[in-house]
Amino acid sequence: MASLTIFADRKSQPSRAILIFCKVNGIEFEEVKMDLFKGDHLTAEYEAINPMKKVPAIAHGDFTLFESHAILIYLACCYNVSEHWYPTDLRTRAKLHAIMDWHHTNLRQGAAGYINTTVVAPKLGKPPNPEGAAECERKLIASFSTIETMWLKNDASFLLARDQPSIADLSLVCEIMQLEILSMEERNRMIRPYKKIQKWVERVKNATNPYFDEIHQLLYEIVASSKQQEA
Amino acid sequence: MQQVPAIVDGRFKLFESHAILIYLACSFPGVADHWYPADVSKRAKIHSVLDWHHSNLRRGAMLYVINTTLAPALGFPLNLQAAAKAEKTLDASLSKIESIWLKGSGKFLLGSNQPSIADLSLVCEIMQLEVLDENDRARILGPYSKVQEWIENTKNATKLHFDDVHGVLYRAKVKLRTQRENAQSQPSLKAALQSKM
Repeated sequence: MASLTIFADRKSQPSRAILIFCKVNGIEFEEVKMDLFKGDHLTAEYEAINPMKKVPAIAHGDFTLFESHAILIYLACCYNVSEHWYPTDLRTRAKLHAIMDWHHTNLRQGAAGYINTTVVAPKLGKPPNPEGAAECERKLIASFSTIETMWLKNDASFLLARDQPSIADLSLVCEIMQLEILSMEERNRMIRPYKKIQKWVERVKNATNPYFDEIHQLLYEIVASSKQQEA
Repeated sequence: MQQVPAIVDGRFKLFESHAILIYLACSFPGVADHWYPADVSKRAKIHSVLDWHHSNLRRGAMLYVINTTLAPALGFPLNLQAAAKAEKTLDASLSKIESIWLKGSGKFLLGSNQPSIADLSLVCEIMQLEVLDENDRARILGPYSKVQEWIENTKNATKLHFDDVHGVLYRAKVKLRTQRENAQSQPSLKAALQSKM
């Protein structure tokens, strides 16, 4: 098998999903650590890998690929991973595709949008945008509600009531983990009513640990240091 | 989700158009390989276009059409700021299609000489711009000659079916153009319906 390189910033939700997926499945890779804050994604060398200048991206021999869902599917197909990650049954697979597509303009837009508006934008000197933040929060809450009612049918399951995680579980849970960056008060306000979501996040962690915590370590450190600064 | 499209196949229900296109390409015999290639690498590239689409072309085109044409036609106020922001996203997306996805000499996306579900999805999105004021549409698409050629290639590859399916859109285009022309001769309406910029 050709050698695999993953260009990732562990601060990035989709980067983490790919790293965890590879570690859990024993896929060998070289990680090129990208720092978005330092502009590593804006170099000419990286543009040759990903002309969209975003993370994550992979190079597999001569083949390059970006967009995390495309990467997860590609890796699931190339390597001999357990079938539950990307089911072969066409209808189950279609339902997982639908969740991952839905994610872009719902959970992702809500969660990442809220963080960009309330945490990142102020650091870049932009004026406050409470309307924008409220709109993102509405989208995020609506997304939690959709996940619970449509895809987490019982308490002992992963998405689509399956008994093992798929790439969709990994992608969505890594997104939800980004909310750790918010104050505990904000995060609790949003997630407390959603007990199924909380339990599902724990199940995905348990199914992929120790790698889940290992890959999220940078995020945990950022959160801890910003809480110290507030104190 | 209370949105379209969705399909029902026996007792199986599915929404999200990209998931539907993939399901149909895989489930029905006789669908030519170029629509959704079996080759894992080619397929992965198509996935990357389809994923990119959601937050780029789709977002820009949809928000631009809503804020310049649909909202006023439905009696909602114009939001020029939102329209300007959407046009930036739309323009950036068309630029990326021109320089990245249509790189090389292929007639379709990703250097291919045959269309895939990605070509169909993205071209149908751009077709939505037919409902715009002609000057706006020309300004937006004007700089992108490869994009314009690719739209024609995709139409030709799907011949009668493309125009047949777009019939409702073409009729909406005529209706909106008539409304705009009527507003031109009635200044009070003109203010409400004038496309921005």
